[in-house]
Amino acid sequence: MSQKVKYTSSEHLITRQANAEKEFLAQFEENKYTIDNPFVVQNPYLINPLCALILFHTPRETAPTVTVCGKRFEREDLRHTFAADTFHKLPVLGLYEDFANRVIISLPDGTEKEIVIQTAKLPQDVCRCLNIMTSADYMQDNFMFLTPAGKNLPTAYDYKGDIRWLLTENTMFDIKRAANGNLLTGSSRFCRMPYNSTGLVELDMLGKIYKEYRLPGNYHHDQFEMEDGNLLVLTQDFHRETVEDMCVLIDRNTGEILKQWDYTTFLPQDVAGSGSQDAHDWFHNNSVWYDKATHSLTFSGRHQDAIVNIDFDSGKLNWIIGDPEGWPQDMVQKYFFTPVGDVANFDWQYEQHAALICPNGDVMCFDNGQYRAKKKENYIKNRDNFSRGVRYRIDTEKMEIEQVWQYGKERGQEFFSPYICNVEFYEEGHYMVHSGGIGFKDGYAADMLGPFLDAKDPAVALRSVTVEEKDGTVLYELETEGNFYRAEKLSIYHHGENLCFGPGKLLGRLDVTPEFDTVPDAEPVDAQPDAWHNIVIEEDEDRMVFHGRFERGTLAMICLENDKESHHYFLNTSASWHLAMCSGAFLEDDDRDIKMNISKEGLKGKFAVKIIINDKKFDTGVSFFCP
Amino acid sequence: MIQEIDTQTYDQLDKSGPMLVEFYSKTCGPCKMLAFVLRDIDKTLPDFKMYTIDYDENQELKERLGVKGFPTILLMKDGREMDRLAGLKQKPVIKKAIEDIL
Repeated sequence: MSQKVKYTSSEHLITRQANAEKEFLAQFEENKYTIDNPFVVQNPYLINPLCALILFHTPRETAPTVTVCGKRFEREDLRHTFAADTFHKLPVLGLYEDFANRVIISLPDGTEKEIVIQTAKLPQDVCRCLNIMTSADYMQDNFMFLTPAGKNLPTAYDYKGDIRWLLTENTMFDIKRAANGNLLTGSSRFCRMPYNSTGLVELDMLGKIYKEYRLPGNYHHDQFEMEDGNLLVLTQDFHRETVEDMCVLIDRNTGEILKQWDYTTFLPQDVAGSGSQDAHDWFHNNSVWYDKATHSLTFSGRHQDAIVNIDFDSGKLNWIIGDPEGWPQDMVQKYFFTPVGDVANFDWQYEQHAALICPNGDVMCFDNGQYRAKKKENYIKNRDNFSRGVRYRIDTEKMEIEQVWQYGKERGQEFFSPYICNVEFYEEGHYMVHSGGIGFKDGYAADMLGPFLDAKDPAVALRSVTVEEKDGTVLYELETEGNFYRAEKLSIYHHGENLCFGPGKLLGRLDVTPEFDTVPDAEPVDAQPDAWHNIVIEEDEDRMVFHGRFERGTLAMICLENDKESHHYFLNTSASWHLAMCSGAFLEDDDRDIKMNISKEGLKGKFAVKIIINDKKFDTGVSFFCP
Repeated sequence: MIQEIDTQTYDQLDKSGPMLVEFYSKTCGPCKMLAFVLRDIDKTLPDFKMYTIDYDENQELKERLGVKGFPTILLMKDGREMDRLAGLKQKPVIKKAIEDIL
């Protein structure tokens, strides 16, 4: 049989990182490394080319300081002092790319050691800063972390717009710093189209993953860390017809699901649809926020133009912020607000993202404004539209709402993002507004979302603009290439443990991949499918991802077979059109290229992978082992 | 019993009792799969009337019946639509929908 099917088997990144750590620690043990002769390993956890790790011993406990010298002058130096110890493991973060970085290790007794770490050039297609307006005084030691909305990479920019942190893994959606200093963001592992990944990962700034929290319904869009460390994560149930309409609370240590909220229990699914709604993705939940003061959860539902608040314990609806047009009258009377105050300048939010509750109970969100109407005949074209950050004050007794702040409306289409984005509340009067989904075609706001635009077309430009405003003055504005899902301003070091050794953990579980119970008649052939099908089978520790190219309308099915049993998975080769595409990370250039994830959950033994293509059953020659 | 029909035959059908009408396209993978599913169901319900109609060749009929895509299954009783299944469905879902109109 000639080899036309490609097969790869790789360990989970957690395993590869554990092996790499074991290896460099073994090398470190081979010699006696001191501050004069420290052990240096660049990119120790394989996915952050702008970092290094320095290891050495001192005879007595001491608290070393690492200084990553600025490119231009001392004012730009990044400095962090670590806890006193005799064994020192010092992450060196925020290196400049393609540069001989001066790094100084100093001890309280005045001992200093300077080393030079030469970094390589970053991949050509990283998204560069195009413009930045801020100051070192304003940004201090913070970088702006942007998470990708496509095949671009998670990237952080300093006050000059230089890239100082980048992961070569396409982790996605929200990024937040947990109370322990680690980052929480979406896994890069594909599970289901359009953008569902296996779960959530907890990692440090070096890129070391401590935990991956897998979810049967996968992860999308957002998460929130509770005070006790447990995590609220947005998910869904793929065994039913609708998506992006569930939230779960997971145990931080075990990944076990402790509680879940199903939005179909408190919202009608067939009313007040936004311009992007369909029956499948009726709500399109893109954010979750827990408010301790009211013990409630707030969800943003893009496809109902609604911000919804429910009681944490009972799951009962408290209120809805949104244009009431199209909602049942009894719901409007009970749950919706009436605008008060400067109503002439009041606007409802449409297809919004990232709703949050301010300390005083106000509600903020990024109002994308897509369509900016409930009825089709009133839809606003993107080029005539605007996006903004908005803050509403709500009175839940009188059911009144007042718009108390907005930023962005005045910028019109140049700040318009029809999808993604977020806002941040820092303190009274101090906010961030991230418009990361800007797309232009022929100089106007494009009619399509960024992932569907051809970035190679000279008439197309994808942009991300992040603004910070304090007391009405813009103190920060970053414009980059590409589209970025969210922005988060973070210091690269934190006051907790910046690195812990030991293998990461794969927690939770994927679901059993649904099978198809009818098997079409197909003649077995002793051959692999034609090379045109470009079949690639990637095996991982807990799943297999099948890639293949099929003409539209092809009947295709994956069959896992051994002597005792067989399992069948239907491959949909029809053209599919997604009304929402918050991350284009998994989109293929050729829409005949399709992929399917098959979890090892529920499977045991060794299976031959076969593929039915129309009336023939081909043997891929690949076997798939499920422990 | 599964029978391929066109608009003219559909209009002339005796629509009394329960029946299933499926709109399919020759260019649709899920429709091809659904043909095998219906064939399996037919083995267990040989007296139940099932009709397949080419979506692309019967534009006026699909518009008259409000069919917006393929595959679409209409479950009908005495000429009235009782239920509708859009997209490829597995045997238990279709069987349940049939049982509901029997």
